[in-house]
Amino acid sequence: MNLYPAKASRSWTVVALIIAVIWLFPILFALGTSFRPLQDVFANVVNFIPIPPTLENYAKLAGRLDLPRVIANTFSIAATVTLLKLLTAFLAAYAFTYFEFRGRNKIYFVFLATIFVPFTVTMIPNYLLIARIGLGDNILGVILTQVADASGILLMVAAMREIPYSLIESAKLDDVSDRRIMLDMVLPLVRPQLTATGIWFFVNSWNEFVWPSLILRSEQSYTLPLALQMFVSAEGGTDFAVAMAVSVVTMLIPVVLYLTFQKYIIGTFTGAGIK
Amino acid sequence: MPSSSDVEVGAVASAPRVPAAAAAGPTPAKVRWWANNPFGGKVLYLAPAGVFLVLFVLWPAVYTLFLSFFDWNMVSPKMTFVGFDNYVTVLSDPITYKVLGNTAIYIVVLLAFNVVVPYILAFVVTFLIDRFQGFLKSAMFLPSFISMVVGAIIYNWLLNPTAGPVAQVLAVVGIQIPNWSQTEVLCILVICYVTAWKVLGYNFITLFASMSGLSKDVIENARLEGIPTWRMFRDIVLPMSRGTGMYVLVMTIVTGLQYVYTPIKVMTQGGPNYGSSNLIYQAYHEAFVVYRTGVSASLSVLTLILFIGLLALAFRALALTERGRS
Repeated sequence: MNLYPAKASRSWTVVALIIAVIWLFPILFALGTSFRPLQDVFANVVNFIPIPPTLENYAKLAGRLDLPRVIANTFSIAATVTLLKLLTAFLAAYAFTYFEFRGRNKIYFVFLATIFVPFTVTMIPNYLLIARIGLGDNILGVILTQVADASGILLMVAAMREIPYSLIESAKLDDVSDRRIMLDMVLPLVRPQLTATGIWFFVNSWNEFVWPSLILRSEQSYTLPLALQMFVSAEGGTDFAVAMAVSVVTMLIPVVLYLTFQKYIIGTFTGAGIK
Repeated sequence: MPSSSDVEVGAVASAPRVPAAAAAGPTPAKVRWWANNPFGGKVLYLAPAGVFLVLFVLWPAVYTLFLSFFDWNMVSPKMTFVGFDNYVTVLSDPITYKVLGNTAIYIVVLLAFNVVVPYILAFVVTFLIDRFQGFLKSAMFLPSFISMVVGAIIYNWLLNPTAGPVAQVLAVVGIQIPNWSQTEVLCILVICYVTAWKVLGYNFITLFASMSGLSKDVIENARLEGIPTWRMFRDIVLPMSRGTGMYVLVMTIVTGLQYVYTPIKVMTQGGPNYGSSNLIYQAYHEAFVVYRTGVSASLSVLTLILFIGLLALAFRALALTERGRS
């Protein structure tokens, strides 16, 4: 939509594009720098275009870090958390959307209120609990607490409310079981939102730093964001080009997922916002 | 389904009564052991999510309140009940007030970066330009998928005051960038900027979607009457999109102070002299760096009370504007 004369529109277009370039610049900078030899990086920090490109930073990284293991840790955590969160959120959202029961609104309110609890309020008891059941320094200890997140319920309820209720009602009157309604009608209809929510969960867990940094102590159990810290010092450090290589490895999968599914993702998030 | 039930359904739909539905077909009432509770079998749908939320959010919150009344270092077998002493310690410590002041600065700067800027940007992209919308949405939202640690590390280098690219480019035109990580307030601005890099895009597309859904007639009429752009924003688009605006505002207050934890940890560790610490980082510092469990717990309880207060204030402000308009 264009409200005003073409000339005003052109200058606004330029402003918006400049902001977008500023937003993308750090990503391009990290990508370019990760393929430049370290001495070049220090000789000229401004030019980040890697000509000729080198893989020496990635080779150094592979020598210093058990990269396959770290990636496997990160992936197992993110994949397990995503599946558990989708399952629990889908079931709870189904109950909140389609069942009548005593205290439904109150329970829904309490579930959603947990979104507003800051992590510092739960971190000490959770830390003690995970340590007591022997999951300190274990990726299982990271998975368990991450599943406790009600934001998926919010997104799935929003998705289910878009399904015409008459559809579900007539199935119920037809005596179709809840299980069949859920699996054969609701599940296929919310699949786009379920996919987008799943990607969002996966990426957030993949990027999670705070909780893993409290639980995971040894390099054996590190995830990518934790491993990244090994290459950082206050001044940027002599390992800077290697840090950029780890950064690229860390952002690769989330960025590819985003670029592949962005239509679903943007649609789901704009659908859940309160209008 | 037997075909005869179709007739039944039509009749039932016009006069929905539960017994009629039951009469629609033979339903053997199987009562399972788990159905024998106030929620019926429905409890099985809520239980998985409920167990996780109770075990890892609600119960820990209560336990933190309990811990806030004890003097403890998290490892010692000895826990001493001290009543409100931890709260007295926290409230009589000048560092607490510095951290509270920083928290206020964080909230104001985060609101500017993550609500005001995306609001204006969404308005510009929705109403003032007619090309590149798809690209702008994709580009602005992309950093939301990138680890905050990655963002903090890249910006740490980009903004390095002596060797970083930004400093070197500015040096050519004779501008020297200050040593921001050692300067009070400035360190908070940089940390908020890095946080905005990750979060702004999400708020932007949420507001963009809301504005794209507004009635085109109202906007078109206003335009034909020659209303200037800034009034179009202030008097028409802002009030019409305030539901989404409120959602973005509330989420920014609640999540913003937690999001900044990672850049604080990576870039300044709360320094210089607590200059970039906020309530969240301070609670972490007390618990896992100096091991004052009770003090950390009482800080967290105060944080929760502050959050509830801010939320109540936000909703009250919304209710007041609603009333003012009707």
